[in-house]
Parts: sequence; structure tokens; C-alpha cells
Amino acid sequence: MAEITLRGVTKVFADRTEAVHSLDLDVPDGKLVVLVGPSGCGKTTVLRMIAGLEDLTDGTIAIGDRVVTEVPPGDRDIAMVFQNYALYPHMTVRQNMALSLKIRKLKKEEIRRRVRDAADVLHLQEFLDKRPRELSGGQRQRVAMGRAIVREPQAFLMDEPLSNLDAKLRVQMRAEILRIQRDLEVTTVYVTHDQTEAMTLGDLVVVLRKGELQQVGSPQELYERPANLFVGGFIGSPAMNVVEATVTRQDGGTFVMFAGHRLRVPPEVLDARPGLAASDKPVILGIRPEDMEDAALVSESTPDSRISVPIDLREGMGSDIFLHFSIDAPPVITEDIRELASDIGDKAIEELDEQATERRSTLVARVGPESRASVGKHCEIHVDMRRLYFFDPATGRAIGDREAAPVPAAGALAD
Amino acid sequence: MKTLEKTPTTGAPPREIPQRSAARYRVRRIAYKVVMYAILLGLTAIILLPVSWALTAALKPDLAPVFTPTPEWFPTEYWEWGNFRLVLTEVMPFLRYMINTMIIVTASILGVLISCSLVGFAFGRLRFRGSKVLFYVLIVTMLIPWQALIVPQFLLFVELGWYGTYLPLIVPSFTGVAFFIFLIRQYMRTIPRDLDDAARVDGLNTWQIFWRIILPLSTPVLTVCAVFTFLWRWNDLLGPLIYLDDGSKFTVALGLANLVTRADTPWNLTMAANLVTVIPTVLVYFFVQKKLIGGIASVGLKG
Amino acid sequence: MARKEQRAAYLFLSPWLIGLVAFWLIPIIGSLLLSFSEWNIIGDPEWVGLDNYRDMIDDRTFWVSIRVTLKYLLLSVPLYIGAGLLLSLVLNLKIRGINVFRTILFLPAVLSGVAVAVLWVALLNPDVGALNELLRSLGIDDPPRWLDSPTWAVPSVVLVGMWGIGGGAIIYLAGLQNISAQLYEAALLDGAGPWQRFRYVTLPMITPTLLFVLLTSLIEAFQVFDIAYVLSRGGTQGIGDSLQFYLINLWNEAFVNGEYGYASALAWVLVLAAAAVILVIFRTSGRWVYYEYDPERER
Repeated sequence: MAEITLRGVTKVFADRTEAVHSLDLDVPDGKLVVLVGPSGCGKTTVLRMIAGLEDLTDGTIAIGDRVVTEVPPGDRDIAMVFQNYALYPHMTVRQNMALSLKIRKLKKEEIRRRVRDAADVLHLQEFLDKRPRELSGGQRQRVAMGRAIVREPQAFLMDEPLSNLDAKLRVQMRAEILRIQRDLEVTTVYVTHDQTEAMTLGDLVVVLRKGELQQVGSPQELYERPANLFVGGFIGSPAMNVVEATVTRQDGGTFVMFAGHRLRVPPEVLDARPGLAASDKPVILGIRPEDMEDAALVSESTPDSRISVPIDLREGMGSDIFLHFSIDAPPVITEDIRELASDIGDKAIEELDEQATERRSTLVARVGPESRASVGKHCEIHVDMRRLYFFDPATGRAIGDREAAPVPAAGALAD
Repeated sequence: MKTLEKTPTTGAPPREIPQRSAARYRVRRIAYKVVMYAILLGLTAIILLPVSWALTAALKPDLAPVFTPTPEWFPTEYWEWGNFRLVLTEVMPFLRYMINTMIIVTASILGVLISCSLVGFAFGRLRFRGSKVLFYVLIVTMLIPWQALIVPQFLLFVELGWYGTYLPLIVPSFTGVAFFIFLIRQYMRTIPRDLDDAARVDGLNTWQIFWRIILPLSTPVLTVCAVFTFLWRWNDLLGPLIYLDDGSKFTVALGLANLVTRADTPWNLTMAANLVTVIPTVLVYFFVQKKLIGGIASVGLKG
Repeated sequence: MARKEQRAAYLFLSPWLIGLVAFWLIPIIGSLLLSFSEWNIIGDPEWVGLDNYRDMIDDRTFWVSIRVTLKYLLLSVPLYIGAGLLLSLVLNLKIRGINVFRTILFLPAVLSGVAVAVLWVALLNPDVGALNELLRSLGIDDPPRWLDSPTWAVPSVVLVGMWGIGGGAIIYLAGLQNISAQLYEAALLDGAGPWQRFRYVTLPMITPTLLFVLLTSLIEAFQVFDIAYVLSRGGTQGIGDSLQFYLINLWNEAFVNGEYGYASALAWVLVLAAAAVILVIFRTSGRWVYYEYDPERER
């Protein structure tokens, strides 16, 4: 039994920064759980606390049915893959992998077997007698994994193991890690700042921000039902478009209005969101770029589900076209949005501020390659009305069927 | 230990590990800390007690025995602060010695800073034919121990008529010290080349680049060199021993050594003299110790 | 452009070049020539070929000085390396107040050899010195006679050197702090205890520093002067031969006996011996020294 349980885990550093704030989390046995979030969100700190490399300021951590909060790292029966691999430079690959077993006084025959098996799984057989400095980045990464595998631990902890690899290698290794984890069925906690990685690898994805849990759920859940503006904007690439809007009853129907545009909200969407019932309710509306299309390419488009906008920029990517257009409304600037922007970089924040002064926002739509929309001309953009996201402007929380409290939804795992 | 409350979705509450084993880890950690502090305190005592003994001895008047059957580590009875004054001016001319040493030290620091920065700049920033060869020569001079040179240098200085003066101790500093040149070179090489290029485009010549840009940026390594020179020259015995014969020109190291090598050493005064002459080095040490310890690591060992 | 830089370079180099010739090249050549001559300043140097070197072999004090220096070397170098490393491990702990301890323990290193020696001459006095009084109070009836004793004279010098071990520890400290923390963390997770972490992480990664300290302490052992001079009261009094370090002997021959030629020969023997030792160590270092491989700079 190797589920990992965190209760009230808090970490306050010596300089008073609170890195993790009373986190409750359940990592189910045998599953790969990804901790994801912008830099500084505390994900690495949480991982290190599970490993025992950081002390807890408060809270408890249990691995299996054993409370390990005060147990030193070496006794927790876990293995860790470091971001920089941390291979012993003066030892061969074989010695690197065997060291932990040697220390635990396993029989030589057993050590040899485990090393051989791990080398087979990771295709390291020809490197066993080489030293780390003779290996490439990808090979070193595999040795780091091998070192963890031979331990046959109760859980794997991985700290951004792929971030030092180039893009192509990263995709390859991702598949490898997934395969190995499935085969071995070992509980794994994986930390990354890359939401694509999180979505592809995780059975469960945990979104953290400034030390607080935002949402826990399967990748699909996070995508379709983000608990708040932060998760909505973090998951999905390119990011969700957000505008300030109002929901009103008019002409016998419910509409959402923003920047002079009007879209009719379908009844099934309303039914699922009792929070939208009040009239003239200000909301933040979220529309993902992939949920928009060039109306010319959509057969059943109605005027209530279209907006006419001037195209500022057209990026042809081959399989899709990204259309950037602006609307007459200042950008939504909440704390969540600012933090998402600062995670991208200073440029993004500058752009936000610029748009705020000009009172225009830029939105992005992803349309099919046959679209004839061109820069300078207006285009009718069709919006998939079943896929609208609504958020409370005051709290950033999603207005949805569950009251969007960020309690760990101990996930319905979409297998 | 807090009992773990699990949410209903994940099954039975976890078993706690027995109180005893959890406590065992905590006790081990504390014991470890205690032992370490004990060791450190012990070592500190070994360092400080001799110094304290020296102070105690220094404060004893001539009549009191400096050496007692039970060693007195702390001044309790005698507080003859006057001993320090005696040592400086009346009974012994240690003030004179300190001034002499100051002169030598200051001149040496000046010489080192001037010459080593110039030469270090050449090696570190300029491209010229023969730079590789000359650099190897520099390394070789660093490696040859100075013992090979004391005799012939002595004879040279005698021929030049510099015997009995401070010149043999000062002038070589003005021609560069290999170790410092090496340090400065290493440091200057880490300054981005772009600065030089920008300066040249702005019309600065080599000297101006050196004087206005590179030199000001090199203060850390220059400080290290100055401090080392200070310590080395203040503490130097062999140099003054060889070249100085006039008592009025003696340095503190020489004066101190002479005190001990004669038959009837006045121990209380000797300890007082020792403490007094050590003060400048200790002051310099405390003043730069944070920078120094960091400086050695970054400037010295990366090279 | 390049020619201007060339000229400028040599201008900048000029102080060093002058000194190189005047204070280095000429004396080296002079020293070499002198080693084959006999001169005592009065009159002219007299060429004697290899006589100086032959005399060395017959010179009793020469062999004494070699024995003394060797004894010191064999005692001090291992102690210095080992104790320095141990101390640095303690000073590397991240416990509160560690900086205060580092400051205090490093203090003796800035004191002059003379100051330290003067202090310890008093403390090591065999009859009334504080150290022996302390030993007697601990029940040791017949403590060593330190500087007065032929067997204990050199160890006294080693002892005094040990008092300043903080200086060596600092060098190790710099090396220790360069070891990537992740290596230790990986070792922790592998289940390594403190000794194992030392053996598998600290020791291998610190071998370059070890080499450095080995070389410097060897060179320092060849160059003992200040402390020996003071402790032996000028190399003349009382204890006779037991503190006759090589440099003391050299100094005596040159500046007391006025045998400048012979002294030069002695100097060259020292240089050659030191060079040989250093070369041997360098050659064999490849085997046990593990050079800089910084996993954090890995790409």
C-alpha cells in the first residue's frame, strides 16, 4: 500500500515566506500525480517535504499507513529523480545505480539482477561502465531514473526531470516515463511547470498557486471544469480568452453581453449553472480559442452565436490558423491574470498594461485552415456556446454546478 | 503526533508509527547538535585561552611572577595597563617599530597595487604577441621558491648600496608579485569584453580603458591583494632580519624576535609587545573577514 | 590597431619585466654561479666547481637539517591535511552562530609566525610553562620537555602549527561549498549515513582541494623559518641541533658564517628537491584526483 497523504502541510521559510499553505492532498496508490503551477507556487517545496529534504512547519505526511513526517529521507522508502540528475560523477552508471542497494546491504546477486533489469527497461546496457560525463543529457536522465527504479520503492518523486532536455527528447522521455510508471505501477509524484506535460502524464493533476491548492482532478476535469480563473487560464494552450461580461434576460432568452457583442446562452448551459440565475449579473466570460471558428466554415451557425470582429493578426500554422482580434473593452486584470502573465514574462505584463490604457483587449481564435479571414477586414467568428466558462469577477471562482470551492475533488479518474 | 483524518473517499485512517521510534529520530538530531557545539566550543577555547594567557601575563607588573604553578588564564589580580605604554615608548621602542613597519607596509601595498594591476591588466585584457610565453614565465616564477633568491638578491642589494635601508623590502613590490598578478589576471578576464569594445568605439585609448573602466571594476581582487600584502609584510621576519641592522629601523617582527632571543626576556613586557603588534592585523582581519573569506573562494580557487 | 595594443601591452608589462630581469633573472643566474664558487663578500668570488656540493655531503649540519626538515614534513603534512579537513567539516555545518566560530578559529592564521612563536615559547616552557602545568594537573607527572628535548622539539613546532589549522580549514571550506547540494540529497535518499555521505560524495569531490593543500603544505614544510628561528632562539641557543631546519642552516651559513657560495649551493639543492617532490605528486595525482565536474552546469 503506497498512497501518499498530506494533511495541513505548511512550510514557512526562515525569511518568513510562506511557501505552502495548509495543503491537503491524497495521492492514490499506483497513480501518477502531477504537481503543476507557475514558478514559486510551492510545488517543488511540497515534493521536497514528501521526500524529507525539507522540514514541515506544520502538518503531517504519511506514506502508506506510516506517518513519515519526522522520518529521515533515507528511511522513507522513496526514490527521487532530480532536475539536474545528481549522478555521482566519479562513479560508473552501474555503481551509481547500485550504491543505494549496497548501502542497504542487499546480496550481490540481487543487486546485479536489479541493475540489469533496470538497465534493460531503460536501454542502458551499453553504458553501464561509463561515467556520467561521457553521457548525453538524455542518457544521464535515464540513469537517474534507473537509480530510482532499482530501489523498488513505495513511491517515485520526480522534480522536473525533463526540463533540461531539448523539446524532441522531452516528448520521447515523457512517453518513456509514462510507460515505465504504468508497467511498474508505482505511486509517482511528478513536479513540472509545463502544463502540457502535466496534462499528458497525469492521472491526477494538482494545480498550485502561491502555496495554495487551486484544484485537483483528472486532466479532462481541469480542462472542462476549471475551478477558478487561474486554473482556467493556466490549463490549455493557447490560453483561454477572458472578458468582462454581463448576463441578462432579454427577448425571451438569456444572453451574455460584452463590448457591444451579444451571445445567447443555451438552456442546458444555464441549467447546469444555477449561479447564473440572477439577472444583470456581471461575470467574467471565458472562451477557449479552440472553441471559436470562422463562421463561414460552420454550417449551423446562428446570429446569436456569432460575433463580428476586425482581424488584427493572422498566424497560419499549417493545420490551424490563429486569428487575433480586438474588442472594445479593457482587459480583465485580476490577480490571477497578472500572475499568469508574469509567469510568461515581463513582455506579457507590459502588453496587459498597454491594453488597459487603450481600453482594448486582444483575443485569439483558432480556426480551420480554409478560413478566408484576413487582416483589416471584419470576420464573423462563431462561438461554440456549449463551451462557455463563467467566473465570478469578485472571487475568480467558476460559476458552475459544484460551488467551485477548491477542495481536493478526490478525483473521478477518467481512465 | 497528530492523528490523521482522511477524507471518506480514500479509506481507512493510517496507522501511526509508534511514538518511540518517532522520538528516536528527534533525540538523535538533538544529540548530534550538542556534540557539534561541544567540539566547536572546545576548539574555541584552545584558540582563545593562549591569547587570554598572554593578556594576563601582559598585565602583570615586573614583580609578579609571569609563570605560576597553576597557569592563570584570565587577568584577575593584576591590571598593569601601563605595561603597554612602557612597551611602546619607554622601556622598548615598539611604537617606533610599528611606525617603521607601517611605512614598509604602506609602501609595499602601493607598489603591489600599482604594478600588479598594470601587469595583470596586460595579461588579462590585452592581446599581444608573446603573451602566452610570458604567461608561462609568470607561472614559473610563482613556482620557484624564493630561497633560491635570498642569497643573490642580498648580494645584489649590497652592491647597490641598499643594505640597511628599507629599499630591498619595498622596491620589489613595485615590480610586481607573480601571485597577485595571476589573481588579478584571472579576475579581469571575467569582465565582459563588450565593455572594452564600447569604450574603444567611444574613443578611449588603452590607458583610459584601464584607468576608468577596468580598474574601478576590479576593486574586489585589488582589496584581496592589498590585504594579503599587508599581512605578509607586517608579519615578515626574514626580510628585515637580513637587511636591517640599525635598531631604530627595526620592524615589529624583528623587535619581537629579538626580545625572545636574548637571555633575560621580560615576559610580561614581551607579551604586551606581542599583543600590541598583533592588533593591526586583527583589526584588518575583522574589517575584511566577510569579504576575504568569500574573496578567496571566488577569486582564488576557481582559477 | 594591433600594433598600438602591442606597444601598450609592453608598456603595461614594463614594471614586471624590469623586475623580472633585475630581481629574478640576474639573481638566479648569479645564484647558480655562486653555488659553484666560494665568496664571503670580501675580495672576489673564487670558482671551486663542485666543491660546495661535495662539502655538503660531508657536512654534518647539512644532514641534521635534512633530518629535521624531513621529520617535520612527515609529521606536519598528514596532520595538516587530515585535521584541516576534519575542522572544515565541522565549520561547514549550518548551525546557528557558525560564522562566529569560523571567525575565531581562523584568527591564528593572520598572526605572524613570530607572534605565534613568541606566545608559544612561553607556553611551552618545560618547567613553568602553562601547557606543562596543565598536563601535570591532569596527572601526567613527566610531561615532554618540548623545545628542550631532542625528541619533542620538532613536534613542538608541529603543535604550534596545529594551533593555526583554521587557515587550512578555510581552503577546504571553499571546496566543500562548491559541492552541489543535490549530490548530498541524492545520497540521503539512497540511505547513506554521515560516514557514507563523506566517503561517496565529500571525499571524491574534494580531491582537487586535497591536492592543493598537499602541495602547499609540502612547500611550506620546506620553508619553515620564522617559527623555528624564534623557538630556537636564533638557531643557536640551548637545544643545539633539534630545530636546525634546512632554511635555518642556510641562513646561518650565509649570514652568520658568510659562506655565500655554499649557501647558494644549499639553496639549489632545496629547489631541486622541492621540484622533484612536486613533480612526483603531480604525476601521480591523476589517479586519485577527481576534477571539476559540476552537475549543476549540466545541459
